[in-house]
Amino acid sequence: MAPMPGSERNYLWQDGTVRSWLLTTDHKRIALLYMASITVFFVLGGIAAALIRLHLIVPTGAIVSDETYSRLFTLHGIVMVWLFLVPSIPVTLGNFLVPLMLGARDLAFPRLNLLSWYLFVMAGMLVVYGLFRGGLETGWTFYTPLSTDYTQGRVLPVVAGVFLSGFSSIATGVNFIISIHQLRAPGMTWYRLPLMLWALYATSVIFVLATPVLGITLLLLGFEHFFHVGVFDPALGGDPLLFQHLFWFYSHPAVYIMILPGMGVVSEVVSTFCHKPVFGYRFVAWSSISIAAIGFLVWGHHMFVAGTSLYAAVVFSMLSFLVSVPSAIKVFNWLGTMHGGAIRLDTPMLYAMGFIGLFTVGGLTGLFLASLASDVHLTQTYFVVAHFHYIMVGGMVSAYFAGLHYWWPKITGRMYPEMWGRTAAALLFFGFNLTFFPQFLLGYEGMPRRYATYPAQFQVLNVLSSAGASILALAYVLPLVYFTWSLFRGARATDNPWQATGLEWRTSSPPPTENFAQAPIVTHEAYDYAALAQAEDATRRETPHG
Amino acid sequence: MARVAAWWGVLVLLVGAQLAMGRAGFTPGICLGAFLMGLVIVFGFMRIAQAPSLAAIFALGGLFWLAILLALGSLDSFTRTNFPVGDSLSAPAPDGSAAQGAPP
Amino acid sequence: MAEHLAPYDTPLHRDETAVAGMWLFLASEVLLFGGLFLVVLVYSHTHAAGWAAGVRHTNLAIGSVNTLLLISSSAIYTLATEAARQGHERRIIPAALGAAGMGMTFLVLKGWEWRLEFREHLFPGPDFAISGPEAGGAQLFYSFYFLATALHGLHMLVGIGLIVWVCYRVRTHGGRPVSPMVVDVVGLYWSFVDLVWILLFPVLYLIGRA
Repeated sequence: MAPMPGSERNYLWQDGTVRSWLLTTDHKRIALLYMASITVFFVLGGIAAALIRLHLIVPTGAIVSDETYSRLFTLHGIVMVWLFLVPSIPVTLGNFLVPLMLGARDLAFPRLNLLSWYLFVMAGMLVVYGLFRGGLETGWTFYTPLSTDYTQGRVLPVVAGVFLSGFSSIATGVNFIISIHQLRAPGMTWYRLPLMLWALYATSVIFVLATPVLGITLLLLGFEHFFHVGVFDPALGGDPLLFQHLFWFYSHPAVYIMILPGMGVVSEVVSTFCHKPVFGYRFVAWSSISIAAIGFLVWGHHMFVAGTSLYAAVVFSMLSFLVSVPSAIKVFNWLGTMHGGAIRLDTPMLYAMGFIGLFTVGGLTGLFLASLASDVHLTQTYFVVAHFHYIMVGGMVSAYFAGLHYWWPKITGRMYPEMWGRTAAALLFFGFNLTFFPQFLLGYEGMPRRYATYPAQFQVLNVLSSAGASILALAYVLPLVYFTWSLFRGARATDNPWQATGLEWRTSSPPPTENFAQAPIVTHEAYDYAALAQAEDATRRETPHG
Repeated sequence: MARVAAWWGVLVLLVGAQLAMGRAGFTPGICLGAFLMGLVIVFGFMRIAQAPSLAAIFALGGLFWLAILLALGSLDSFTRTNFPVGDSLSAPAPDGSAAQGAPP
Repeated sequence: MAEHLAPYDTPLHRDETAVAGMWLFLASEVLLFGGLFLVVLVYSHTHAAGWAAGVRHTNLAIGSVNTLLLISSSAIYTLATEAARQGHERRIIPAALGAAGMGMTFLVLKGWEWRLEFREHLFPGPDFAISGPEAGGAQLFYSFYFLATALHGLHMLVGIGLIVWVCYRVRTHGGRPVSPMVVDVVGLYWSFVDLVWILLFPVLYLIGRA
């Protein structure tokens, strides 16, 4: 609202010293610190992926030894899951937006927020240290007894790093949940919250209640590995499957950590660019919560062929199908929102539409893996790899880019170049499909994952996949370039460039350190475009006098 | 002051009862004792009933998810059929490891 | 809105938020220890004989004394929170320090118990004391025993640190009334650590002993 003629009294420039950034408790600055950190890890994990795809161009493996290959995909998995995907949207866009969307001054525990960033950075350094001083060959899942008794890799620093990053997640989760409960602006009832906040609330529930189980699992693993005692060791009668149960109790809900925030972003973007309220607001809101809750009941489908009891497998299989219900509700409601809307195909909307399509493919192929019989054929093949990349890259990375473009004007006060944005969104969609669709076929034909070599009959599809990966790489590099460019040369953004309804658009771009010049009062439902138009009319009528 | 002392007395009595149950080998009694002691701590010392209602919501949420973890996590172990294999440390007799995991 | 309170509206709002935050964190802790109890549930069932053999080797005398120490410590700390609520600042520090002292005693006894167990070769490994068909289950028990007591001990250390910090804050507050919230929040954590021990005690010392 407040026009700022030339003055740079916003959170970015209020105090420009390095010290003020490193000791900041401003959620907006912490969001940017996080953004810089996870970008580094994204690049690192991306380089590993590029090497993997390059290696697989020829059936005998093109560039690295078998052992190095194992370490490469482990690096790719661990870095991408724990240092990019799990934190991605919550700690960057979430950190930036939760207080703004609530109409609050900051998160409930600002110092805890800063602490979580330092924990994350330490975690990242430990992981990177372990991965570069030898790495490890366990895959991102650390299955015992490979990780405890037989590994020749650096298990301890990596496990310690992932453990620490868990504390960072818990801190973020506690902060979000408490903030949403306690810091809503006057008039901001639960059903007036933007759907992004419902999604982040659900994500935080998983952060807070699943991550500690990962913590204890890794403690047990590290304890067994370091002291050479039996915890999961079958030689002592221990049960390696117990490790898998504990691990997937976290890691399956973690899949929803990696998709729910993306769903939140897509709800915001779809509503804004269709200029319509989200169809079935309450269904979308509660589907986030139920995805988080049901997500805890299905982890056994990762272990169908591991030797679990048939009884447990049947129970987990049936429960797994339940998750598809709230996920489908979301997809249908987004389509319902778009139906009959005046859709503007700006960059965020392109990414969001890509998300809906790719997430649907990823979700539907999940049904094959939830069914006991077809899973026996498909598990441990490239079908699984393709399935979860459709969710995590096609879904979450698309949504992350959608959110970045959508809120970039608010975060930086600058517009990105629209034409380049659309190009990158299109490249991402095509590159992604070219990379991963062939992997469905490979998996269906039986090519196992995690091998450095493959029979010659799979070469055509593998080359296609690698070609797609190079397009995908371009789609990642492009935003890095034009975002950086826009920081200095981009057009100045107005306060509400997209005609969106959220509270974050009511403050200046970029916001002042205290977020709102006047504490906002909420009088309308979320996505009430009629009220927005009225308010703007009123301001227009006032302006000549003011 | 008197309230805290009373709760403390109850706790000491419960510890005594637990030790007696332990001597008798009555496991449900031991578990009941621990459960009651937990209730005393949560209601007597942590005063959950006087805390903001969020506290009770979070506590119940934690317990609910704990129940999921314990129930679904042990489901597999309790229903699995294990086939005896060589147990290098503890089982010269093959029935040593076959004792585990027969369906209930 | 007072700027030093931001992002809260009132001191009461701030205090309630902090208490709620601590409860949420404790819910998270429940799941941390929950993973350990899943291990207990599974192994004490699938290795009942070996597990019980392990339980029989623990030191019940030290365990019981430690249990009494911790419930007393938690009770005494509750006196500190009551004093803070009623505004009797002077009574906070003695009660809190008493609670922390009992916690320290617990840890010393626990360390001594560990020492005895190391001497008896009860730490799992090649020269583990228990042999025979129960060796595997007993080793699993002792792996759990050492990890669980170490993790609990770590929580005790954090709790003692927090109590000392509370005492420091009350002392240096110089006349102005200290918010009972700080004392309260630390008390929640301290009682939770006590609660964990109350659940560990029967598992480590009682169930399967007879």
